[in-house]
Parts: sequence; structure tokens; C-alpha cells
Amino acid sequence: MKQKNSNHRILLFLLLILPCFVFAQNTLSGKVSDEKGDTVPFANVIEKGTSNGVTTDMEGNFTIEVPNLPVTLVFSSLGYTTVEQEVTSTSPITVTMPESTEALEEVVITGLATSIKRSNSANAIAMISAEELVGTTPPSTLEGALYGKFAGVVINANSGAPGGGISVKLRGVTSLQGNTQPLYIIDGIYIDNSSIAAGLNAVSAAAAGGSASNQDNPTNRIADINPEDIESISILKGASTAAIYGSRAAAGVIIITTKRGKAGETKFSFTQSTGWNSAINLLGLRNFTEQRVRDTFGDGTVADFVAARNQGRLIDYEDEVYGESGFISITNFNMSGGNENTRFYASVSHNNENGIVNNTGYEKTSLRLNFDHRATDFFKVAFSTNYVYSSTDRGFFNNDNSGTTIGISLVGTTPWLELFPNSDGVYPDNPVGASNALQTRDLVKNNETVNRIIMGGSANLNLYKNDNSNLELILRGGLDFYGQQSRAIFPKELQFQKPSNGGLNGVSIQGDTQNKNYNLSAFLVHNYNTGDDLNFRTQAGLTREYFNQNTVLITATGLVASETNVDQAANTGVDQTRFKQEDSGFFIQEEVNFQDKFIATLGVRGDKSSNNGDANKLLYHPKASLAVNLNKFDFWNQDSEWNQLKLRIAYGEAANFPPFGALFTSYNSFSSNGLLGISLIGIRGDENLKAERQKELEFGADVSFFNGLLNFEATYYIKTIEDLILLAALEPSTGFTQQYVNAGELRNKGIELTLNATPVITNDFQWNTGITFFKNKSEITKLNVEPFNIGAFGATLGTFRIEEGESATQIVGIGPNPGASGFQKWGDAEPDFQMAFTNYLTYKDFELSFLFQWKQGGDNVNLTTLLSDLNGTTHDYDDIDLDPAGVLGNGSYRLSQLGASAEVFVEDASYLRLRELGFYYTLPNKYLSEFLGGSIDQVKLGFSGTNLINIFDYNSFDPEVSNFGGNTPFTGVEVTPFPSSKRYLFHLTVKF
Amino acid sequence: MKINIYKILFFTVMITMMVSCEVEEFSDLNGPEVSAFEDEITRGDLQDLIGGILYSSRLRLGTYYDDCGVIGREYWRFSGSDPRFTTDLLGGGNSVLDNNTFYITGPWAARYRTVKNANLILGFFDTQDLSAQFSTSEIDATIGLLRTFIAYELLLNLNLTNDGGIRLDVADENNLGPFVSKSVALTGIRAILDAGAGNLGNGGGAFPFVLTSGFSGFDTPSSFLKANRAISARVAAYQGDASSVLNYLNSSFFSLNGSDLNTGIYYNFSEDQTDIINPLFISIGGTSAAQARIVQPLFITDAEGGDNRLDKVAQLSEPVTLDGLTGDYIVNRYLSNSDDIPIIRNEELILLYAEANITKNSAEAVIALNIIRNSAGLGDYSGATDTESLINEMLNQRRYSLYAEGHRWIDMRRYNKLDELPIDRPPNPEVPDDGDNVWIQFPIPLTENQ
Repeated sequence: MKQKNSNHRILLFLLLILPCFVFAQNTLSGKVSDEKGDTVPFANVIEKGTSNGVTTDMEGNFTIEVPNLPVTLVFSSLGYTTVEQEVTSTSPITVTMPESTEALEEVVITGLATSIKRSNSANAIAMISAEELVGTTPPSTLEGALYGKFAGVVINANSGAPGGGISVKLRGVTSLQGNTQPLYIIDGIYIDNSSIAAGLNAVSAAAAGGSASNQDNPTNRIADINPEDIESISILKGASTAAIYGSRAAAGVIIITTKRGKAGETKFSFTQSTGWNSAINLLGLRNFTEQRVRDTFGDGTVADFVAARNQGRLIDYEDEVYGESGFISITNFNMSGGNENTRFYASVSHNNENGIVNNTGYEKTSLRLNFDHRATDFFKVAFSTNYVYSSTDRGFFNNDNSGTTIGISLVGTTPWLELFPNSDGVYPDNPVGASNALQTRDLVKNNETVNRIIMGGSANLNLYKNDNSNLELILRGGLDFYGQQSRAIFPKELQFQKPSNGGLNGVSIQGDTQNKNYNLSAFLVHNYNTGDDLNFRTQAGLTREYFNQNTVLITATGLVASETNVDQAANTGVDQTRFKQEDSGFFIQEEVNFQDKFIATLGVRGDKSSNNGDANKLLYHPKASLAVNLNKFDFWNQDSEWNQLKLRIAYGEAANFPPFGALFTSYNSFSSNGLLGISLIGIRGDENLKAERQKELEFGADVSFFNGLLNFEATYYIKTIEDLILLAALEPSTGFTQQYVNAGELRNKGIELTLNATPVITNDFQWNTGITFFKNKSEITKLNVEPFNIGAFGATLGTFRIEEGESATQIVGIGPNPGASGFQKWGDAEPDFQMAFTNYLTYKDFELSFLFQWKQGGDNVNLTTLLSDLNGTTHDYDDIDLDPAGVLGNGSYRLSQLGASAEVFVEDASYLRLRELGFYYTLPNKYLSEFLGGSIDQVKLGFSGTNLINIFDYNSFDPEVSNFGGNTPFTGVEVTPFPSSKRYLFHLTVKF
Repeated sequence: MKINIYKILFFTVMITMMVSCEVEEFSDLNGPEVSAFEDEITRGDLQDLIGGILYSSRLRLGTYYDDCGVIGREYWRFSGSDPRFTTDLLGGGNSVLDNNTFYITGPWAARYRTVKNANLILGFFDTQDLSAQFSTSEIDATIGLLRTFIAYELLLNLNLTNDGGIRLDVADENNLGPFVSKSVALTGIRAILDAGAGNLGNGGGAFPFVLTSGFSGFDTPSSFLKANRAISARVAAYQGDASSVLNYLNSSFFSLNGSDLNTGIYYNFSEDQTDIINPLFISIGGTSAAQARIVQPLFITDAEGGDNRLDKVAQLSEPVTLDGLTGDYIVNRYLSNSDDIPIIRNEELILLYAEANITKNSAEAVIALNIIRNSAGLGDYSGATDTESLINEMLNQRRYSLYAEGHRWIDMRRYNKLDELPIDRPPNPEVPDDGDNVWIQFPIPLTENQ
């Protein structure tokens, strides 16, 4: 209740200092409204060529004194096109200001309840519109559309499997053990982005080698969001902007606004995109000769090789499995319309994408209805509802310890093996491996199905208004509910399931997850305007969030007949994982704007969470920022080509909660031959664990020339994470191998540069171009525990190491010249820099857009190559370019390094890609008028592609990969992933 | 209408603010917390906690046995997904044993986890008045069993690090005892076993919990005491203390009966989802270069004709090759996913009896060795009976009798005979650091910060 009182006090204070100005000349009055008839409050009304001006009141009314008539009045307001109107008499004026199509670029959303003009923002907030997001080519999933579009945003696909699995990291590593993925908020609704493992470990035994991490490569649930529904995305990259989101904001916040209806004629839009995908880079076969076969596989195999060669049945199994073209169809239909008071936007979309491997694919249906209603002048409500059905078949890939995943199996599959089914459909066993990759591909089912409902509503109530101030109450609620079913079926006829081969006689793993998040919030926003000097905006609010996730995973082995029902099995096991969290917070923020010259913000957020060691302790997250628009000062030459020079500085703090479960030291239950027991699981929790605290200082400058045709933004930030939560190694003789501790400090420093230009603009031809450049350097600045290795598969093969004074993502391993730690540093997962180059060209009715993305540096641990070497199948096995002595073939050389040095397994993962390419043609209107009585507004045809050009030196399918999924800083470990693909699409859009 | 809206809004705001005040504090929703037992431990709890010890004592055993079996050249472990079985463990080329890789970190941590599970129970006992729940003898019986487990788990870790030693005193996780040398560790392990034996002696007629079937016949304090003494005999043998070996054997379940070789205590496995399957079972059909335990060929060629212990290996239709190693026999010691693995059994005790008698009473040693030989379908020992020859014969019988039970490497090490183990991939003299090595011991895991 405290916060409410303080808000009242601020209000009172503001009301008391209300000043008053009076002049006496010709009095003009009028009303400003927009095209929908809504009044435009706080619009600037300026007598042209003078500094004489007023702003409209809440009703859009204004009164201005001018010395002489006639006079030209200039009406401007955020989000509207500036209107000039000549006035000759003192009769009341009615002005209609059209909404600006550039409104989006003008306003950036930063707060929980408010937005700010970009030119006044003290932060480098990246925001893109629908056009930039999906205009070039429709992405498979939302995050796929973010590549290269934001400075400071690192996006990494975990594999090429259809249906997502992409990690997004903002400004470097923000946490080692806690959440590293940004918070997603759509229309005020907190969106769950879990990746729920399907329990494949029961078959792959991937974690049996001691890496407990999830290697199932599930989809992350933000993939459910339909990119076509998005109006804009705004990214708050660090605590300096995101502090107002408090304890969940340390990894940044991605704020998504969906499309809303516009008043007027009901508009329909239909888009169909059809195309295909194919692998971007297959590795190919080793060039086998009799001698090579003899050397690698022994004399016994030579005959098989020769026989197969002579019969012409040396088969490229890589191509057999990964060489398919997957069909893609994306259908989207939306309609919007309404009147002054009630507007709606509705959409239906259906995606169907097959993967480049048979029996993989992604299907999604999304329905959305957004509804806005203005009940009275002072009360309006908005609702969003979204239903999503998605079904993903992801195949069986990545690491295993059982030789069963398709990827692992393929590296051991030589071209002379006969793996195709006979005429009865019976697959032969792979004589040299644990599984037949073709059989696994054709018979294993690994499906995730989601039914999800996302609903939210908000109510805005103007509680109070007078000429200079208004007080608005905003109430918001949001619900994100989904049920996810995972079904992994390994039928008993699989080679590795046959009991005679030591198999489990069929495995059926069925997982069910219920996830329910809801959030409630209430804000009071008070605007107070002294006339022409000062604007105050005061906000106070309360927020409350609830998270509840319950996963039940049933693993059945020894299936009866061809049943997949888990109770028709010899053995069943159940695993339940529950997650609950409650957060509660408040915030207060004061924004002061002095003539758009100085814009200062000061705020604080207070938070409690059940995930804190002390649940009811309030954590405070302050923020402060200042922007100075030098161009608004009197000394600025208003006719200069130099339109804007803004200097800005911002500071903020945010937190990251301990991961759920980190507070407890617990047993888990197991059994021994039917006897139940509870045993420790090797991880020691800490009930006093604190949240990680992020402190970010950012400063920068924005400059703009030639009426905005050339813009440049530069930002430098220092982001420090204190009380870093580590799952630090503990002496295993304690009975625990790891413990959760607050024991370190991590610092990221980075620079982000953005250049936007319109070099050419004529009636027929326009060229917009943009270049972003960013670079981040992380460093562990303090470590209170012994340095430790983390992630990947141990020092022999290259592992990450947390060590004071070193990068948080350094990769070390054994080597000939180890340092004091016994390890040699072989690389760093962090790129040297990333760049993106966007271009948008229009010539008459043609549009061409493309986006190049370049990641320079950053290393991966590539174990696909090693596993291929061990099986003697690597495509470059016999090339000689690694061995410094120039003697050994690459394969033999890499193997000779195994156990001696990890150097060859750590590879540079730089790449340059043509991420997006789009080419469209809009049919001239003259052709349309004759159809359907001229009711067709637009017909657009086009072609687009994703990842059409990929340049990299990395010795595998794609340097963009992560065996351990996305929610970890330790990505870039590769173990036989699903290869990534390029997409080709043809489009047809009809608007009517 | 408007008034209603105000009312609704006002009400909503009030509710929001009121619920904002407190957040609920959750306990661990996914498993019982250790602290839940600190105040009171019931009979049911104790059963679960003991069950946990039976569970965790089997964790990573597969790696332990592979470590011993591969370095002891009993068999090669082929894995398509982990090359280090054929590189690091065999010392292939210039590879060495890493101190932060699964082959040492996995089993080492698992053994200490069992020790911790046991020490936690001992801690609960220490701080609680248990008189309402358990009788004094029941508490003694439990402590005796726990101490036996602790000692055995420590012994397995010492087997890996050998001269590197182990931490003996790990009861207080915040104040771990130092690493002690091998001899101090063996003395300490024996003392723990002796203390446990004392507890078991006072343990009354029954444990206040049930054990798995692997302990049948040893599931009362007095019978479990015999298993404790058997383990003590092995420890004494490792110490080279022949007299104590014989003393311990006397009070163990030792029997000089060639048809009673398998009496003993065992780890059980099952395919139940919360259980562990036998980690050493790979069937013939399931064997490929990607997944195999291939018998070191000398095991077959060195065997005396008619040795029926060769049923512990099985021949493949075609040889399997990986990383320069080729063999056509697989380890067939364990026959299913739910087959038992012995902890200690009478065949070992007879061999320990023979070993202890080599220096004390060589005739008795030969008698014991002949019992083993006869049961394997071999005739009596006819070789020389000097100490050296008998040791070799004893080691050879142990090689076949205890095949794939984790002994060969340790036995050859005890007698400084590791250089007699075969080198499968001899060095190419032109390549530095080439060829396999037989390791003496594993490094102490990195994270012990030694």
C-alpha cells in the first residue's frame, strides 16, 4: 500500500506547481481529431515560423493566441502526420490528422504501460515492424525472423529440425545457470518459452556419459507464436531499459505487439506461400578405395566394398537420409475493420513444413482475434485471444551413448552396407552398428503436439483530466495456457529394440505437460504538462505473475504386440516434474521532459518471488536515464543538414532468479530390483541462494542527417552480473558433484552501431539500406570458487571453463602446452563481432530486399567430425591439410590428437549468410479494377528464400548448432545434429 | 452503467493490490528434501533411505568395471559414441588418462554419493532420539550395515586411484578430511569394516528394513556380518596381511567347497524404469563396433584346454574392429539386462584363502587352487610350488574365475606385474609416444582440487 501513497504525494506535488501563462491577441480555437474521429490530445499546435505554440487538451481542443491573421498553424503529434493549415478567421477550426505510417519508427515501447518517442528515448531500443520482420520472407518460427535485424541480439538455431529450437541471447552471456533466454511479452501477456524434453534419453542414453543436460533438442515454445500476426517487436536488451520488468528481465525483454483492427472498411488479406527446403550443406562421402577400406576396416571388409562397388550399389546414406526436399505451405488469412468505437483484427494461419528428413515436419494452425472497444470517451478495453495448435515431428538426432540416433548411426554407416528394406518391408540389421539409420528414420516417431491458448485483456480508464493533466488507470491481465503432449515411439522391430540385440523390445515414451501462466497488473499513469516547458509523466503500478508447469513423463519398455499404449508394456516408469513460481512486484517511474531537450527518467521496481531464498523479501531494481537532444537547443542551426544529435545515458538493474530447485538439497526416488529407495542426485542446493543482480550502464548517441535519410546510432554498454549463480564443482567426495552458489561476477562490455540510410529516393526508385555491427566481450571478473569446467564432453574433446579473468565462454582442453590449470585455451564461443547488411529496393511495382548476416569468430566443439573419423567415414579423411608434418590424412591426424590435444575439435564457427532474400511484384491497379467489381485492392506475387547463400569454413553441416539446446550459454557443441536447411518460397498475396 | 464500471474497476484494483502482498514459498515439488529427515526419521523413512544406498551403490558400476576390465586387458570396450575407451583407457598413441573425464569422475562420484547417503543416515541417527522408533540393536544393525557399505565404496575408489589415495573422512561435507595414502586408506577402510562388524555383532536378530534379493542369505545382522568379514579379507589381502586374511575368512561365509562358488552378495538389476539395468550386458546380436565388449584374444588362447570358464565369453560370427583392435569374442559373463553382478562371492574367498596360504602353507594353497581348477573342469595343479609359481598360478586362476568382475588389473598391480599385461597396439618406433600403455592408476578427479 506504500506505493499508492507515494503516488498520491507525487500527484499532489505536481498539481501544486502548476504554472499559468496568459497572453492577449487574436484567439483561435479548434479541435484536432484523427481519421477515426478520435480526438488527438497533447498535439502540438505551433504558429509556423515562430516559437509560439500550445498543445491540445484531452479532448483535442486548443486555443492559441496569434498576433496577426492570416496565419499558418502547424499541427504535429507523435504517431500522426504533421498537418499545416492556413487560418484566415477566428472561427473554430477542425483539423484531421492522419495517422502516420511511420508511427512505429517513432514510438518505442519501453515501459509496462507506456511508450516513448524514439527521438526522446535514452536507450538504444531496437524495434522493428511487421514489414521488416516477415516482409522479406516468412520465417518458419518467430525467432527465425530476428536474425540480423537487431544489434546486440545473438540468435542461434540448435539444429535444423523443423519447428524451432532457437535461442536468443541479448548482449552476451547474462547467466551461467539461470535463465539466459529473454522474457517474451505479447500484448502484456507473459509468454512461456519452455523447452520440454521428450524423455528420449531412455533410448539414446545421451546423459549417461555424465552430461546431465537435456540433449533431446525439443522445440522452445515461443515457436508457437504466429509471426504474421505481429505488428512490431521491441527488444529491451539489458537492465538499463528492462529494469522496470524487474526480476525476470535480466536476460532482456522482447515485447511483441500484435496487429489491431483499424476503423473503416473491412479489409481482407490472403497470403499463400509455397515452396520447399533442402539441406544447405551435406558433407559427402569419403573417397573409398580398396586400400583405404583395408587400412580402416580390415581385410574382411574389402570384399564387401568391392562387391558393392562392382554392383554399383555404393550408397550415399547421408544423401539418402538428409537429401530430401521438404514441402512448405504457409497460408495466412486475416481481416480487420470496425468503426470508431469497436475494432477487430482476426486471422487464421496454417503452416505445414516437411523437414529434409522423411517423417519430420512441422505443422501449425493459429487463430487470433483481437478486439478493441471504446465504451466511452474515457474508458476503453482491448482483448487479444490466440489459439495455437502445433505438431512437430523432430526425428531422433543428436548425441547418444547407444549408437541409436540417426545422426550417430549415419557416421558409422559405410556406402557398401545394405540397409534398405526388402520387398516385405523388413529392414536388415546394420551389421556394423547398433541401428539401421533408414529403419530408425522410417519407424521412430518423435512428436510434440501443443494446444495453446493465449488470452489477454486490458482496460484503460481516464480517471481525471483537465487542460494540463490527466490520470489514467490501466488494468491488464493475461493468460498463457497450453497442454503439450510428447510421443516418442520406438517400435520393437527396430534393430536396437530387439531383445536378441539387447534391446528393450519397444519403447513408448509419452509426456504430458500442462502449463499455466497468468499475470495481473494495474498501473496509474499521470501526465502533466506545464504548457510548453515541462512534461511530467508519473507511473505507478502493481504486477503479479503466476507460473505453474507440471510434466508427467511415462516411459514404457517391453511393448506388447504393436501397442504403443504405455500400460501395454512389461515395464513402465513415471517421472513427474513440477514447477511453480509466484512473483509480485510494484514499480514507480517518473519521466520529465523539458521541451524535448532533456528527457530524464527515474524509476524503481520492487519484486518478490517464491524462487528467492527468502520469498517475501523485496528486491529493488532502480533505473535512471537521461537523453539530451542537442538539436532542440536554440544554438542549433535549424536549417542544418544535421537534423538530430541526441546524447543518451541510462542505468538500470534487474535480477535473475535462481533456477527452480536450486534452493533445495533433495533426494530422488529410485528402485533396486523392486525395492524403493531415495538417493541424493549429486547436486547440492542452497536455501539462502540470492537472485543474480544485473547492473547495466549504457550510453550512446543518435545522429540524423538530411531529414532522416541518414541515421546513425552508436551505443556502448557495460553490463555486470553480480552474485552470479554457479553450479560450481564440489569435491565429489562430499557426495555431491555440484553445488549452487552465488560465487562470481560476470561483465559484458559491448558496442552496437547501426546505420540506416536512404541513398536514393525518386518517384520510381527507392533504396533503403542498413548496416548493424555489434560486438560483445564477456569476462568472469570474480570467482569465489575454484575454476571449473562446464558444458560439452570433457577436456579431451574441448570443454568450457569458468575462470577468473577469462571469457565466460572460453573453450579449453588438453594440449601440449597447458597453462597452470592443466588446460590449454583453444577458443571462445563468443564471436569477435557480428554484422548485418539489409537492403530494400523498390522500382515501380518491384520490390527487392535482402539481408546478409555475418558472424565473425566464435568457436564450436565439433564432435560430428570426430565420430565420423572414428568410423573411418569422414568426407575429408584422406585429405592432408591438418597434419603440420603433412603426413597423416585429416582423419588419422584428428584421431592421433585424441587424448593428446583438443585443438582439432575446436573449430572456428564464423559464417556469412544471405539470410533473407525477397523479390515481389505488385500488380498495377489498372489490371485489378476489372476483377470482382474492382474490390481487389492489391495483388502481389513474389519469391523469397532463407539461407540461400552460406559461406563458412566449418567442417560440418552448419556452424550454427547446439547439442545442449538454447537455454545455456554453452551452445556450439555439435554431435551429429539435424542438418540445417535453406528455404525457397513462392508467394501470392491478395488484399480486398 | 458508468457507476457499475467504476465499481468493478475499483474492486479489481483492490483485489489486485491485496493479493500482491504475499507470495507463497514452495518446498521442493519434485523430491523429498534432505532437511525433511533431520527432525524425525521413521521406520518407513529408514527403509527408503537404505533402498537409496542399494540404488546408488550400483551407479556407474559399468564404468568402474570397464575401467578395470579394459586397463586389466580382460576385454576392450568399443563405443561408437565415446572414443576414449579405446584411446585413453588403453593408453593408445600419446593419449593419457584425464582427471576430468567420465571414466574416473563418474564412478568416483557415484561411490562417494553412496558414502554420503550412508553418512546422512548416520547423521540423522546421531542427532535424534530414536527410542520410540527403533530398538538399540536395530540401530546397531543399521550402523553396521552402513559402515560396511561405506568401507566397500571407499575400497572401490581406492582401487581406481591406488597410490593417489582417497579421502577417508567425508562425513562433514563442509570440512572434508585430507587425502590419505593407499596404506592409510586400507587401514582406515579395514577399521571401518571392523567397527561395522562390532555393530553388526550387537545387531540382534533382524534389520529394521528389507534388502534386495542379492543379499538373500545375508539379510540378518549376523549373516551380513559374514559378508562384512569377507570384504575385510579382501582388504587384508590388498594389505598383504596373510594372517588377517585367514582370520577374516574364518568368520566369513568362506567354504572350501567347489560346488559352492557363487554364495555371496550381489548387486541386482532390473528393467524397471526407476532401476538400473546390468551395465555389463551386451548381447551377441547387440554387438557391433558401435557397442561391444570384445574379449582380449589372449584370454582365449592362454586358457588351458577344457577350462569351462571360457563360457564367460562367446564367439561372434564375424570379428569386430574398432580403432585398430579386432576380436571375435564378446564378454558373455552377464547374460541379461537383469543379471546380477557379484560384490563378493565364495570363489574369490577360496582364491583369497589360496593366496594367503602361499606364504604360510603352500600345500593348503594348492588344495584351494585345485578346488577352483577342478570346478573349472581342469585337473590338479602340477606345476612348481615355489612362491613365485604359486602366485602366478593363483593370479591365473583369479583371471579366469573372476573374469569381468573387476579384479585382473588390481591383482596384477598388487604383484607389480602390470608389465606382463599384453600391449595390443605396439609402438611404431618412428612415431613418438606411439603404442598402448598399461596405466597403474587413475588420476584423482580434477574437482577434488588436489
